[in-house]
Amino acid sequence: MSHESTQILLNANEEWAQSVIKDIPDFFTQSATGQSPKVLWIGCSDSRVPESVITASKPGDIFVHRNIANQFHLNDDSALSVLTYAVKVVGVEHVVLVGHTNCGGAAACLKAAEDAAANTGASQPDTPLTRWLSPLIAHVQSLDLSGCSTSEALNKVVETNIIMQVDNICKSEPITTAWANPNSKKVTVHGWVYDLSRGRIDELVCRDAQA
Amino acid sequence: MNALATPYKNHHFTLCLSLLHSMSQLQLNAAEGLINANEEWAQRIIKVNPNFFKDSDTHPPKPKVLWIGCSDSRAPASVITASMPGDIFTHTNIANQFHSFDDNANSVLSCAISEEIDHVVLVGHSICECVQEAIVNAAAAKPADPNNPIERWLTPLSELVRTLDLSGLDESEALDLVTKANINKQVENICNSEPIVTAWADGKRVSVHGWLYDLATGRIRELVVRSLPRP
Repeated sequence: MSHESTQILLNANEEWAQSVIKDIPDFFTQSATGQSPKVLWIGCSDSRVPESVITASKPGDIFVHRNIANQFHLNDDSALSVLTYAVKVVGVEHVVLVGHTNCGGAAACLKAAEDAAANTGASQPDTPLTRWLSPLIAHVQSLDLSGCSTSEALNKVVETNIIMQVDNICKSEPITTAWANPNSKKVTVHGWVYDLSRGRIDELVCRDAQA
Repeated sequence: MNALATPYKNHHFTLCLSLLHSMSQLQLNAAEGLINANEEWAQRIIKVNPNFFKDSDTHPPKPKVLWIGCSDSRAPASVITASMPGDIFTHTNIANQFHSFDDNANSVLSCAISEEIDHVVLVGHSICECVQEAIVNAAAAKPADPNNPIERWLTPLSELVRTLDLSGLDESEALDLVTKANINKQVENICNSEPIVTAWADGKRVSVHGWLYDLATGRIRELVVRSLPRP
């Protein structure tokens, strides 16, 4: 089968590496000696929200965890190990939880909640995706979306989801420990929304030890 | 591949450097810096293509590639492949793992397959501190601390290390061997996952690649590729 798309990426990587070396000959050898990013980005896997491109960041700037619908579940070792490593080992100063407009995961939860309301008794199939989204589906079911158009409802889900994930992050052990210890490095937790139609990030909420 | 990628490939890095200079002058904190850099980036895109964002919002692109990589800040998927928004569906975690029991990674993979991607690329990188930690833990025969999320997460990797013969290898040779074995193992895990097994049983032509990104040279190398088994 054709491996055109992956060959394009490999070719682009080669050109990029050469252009970086032309600008800064020791960029890679320096970068290989260690990392000290100031920011951990927890965002959505959506291809339209590549954190380093939309913030014009370079390798070494942002520690990253991306998943479906930018979740932070307190019982998820994948996200929890990233947060623990970022805060305790790498020493990031900011954790940014980034959602985005027109999120497919949020839309799927809206639909699942509507289906559940229409078909009482019918249960969701038990798959990794339905399990992954079940906290968000439950959250959607708790919202009052009466009188909202479809797009207003989706925006409300996107934004309240961001706040909910920020709340989860603030309850996590790495953050509660950092905030309880006045000698710990300062770490701030932010909730951001990326507007796909404008290409712009807006801050919804910001929490630190004083909050 | 997004047609806008070409004009931005070489501009991207120069743009990063000029923004970095202006950010340091304003003495913003790192998070404020990102928001400001995003604003400048968005304005530059709109200058070249006023409809870029509106178009990608109303006509979502269909990425062909899912990237499963490490959370390490030095390996940002879209930067090191000079890709634009819309090109690569992305999932990153500590030491680029794909655990069969992990709902996080499995949900990303199943979404990507249903969005009809053609390729899954599992990308490890050289000098991974967490791979190094797994080697140290395996050598110390230390059981994972159940209260440490990083050690719990790295348990399968530590188990993999114990199956490898690292005798006679110096530290960097051992790290290199384990890095490659880790990539191969995660590719195997992906190929054995329900989304891929089902996709191949349905005749879907999706390939799974194992890539190694060399931090010291900035180059990606393909180690392995697995495709739809021939009937």
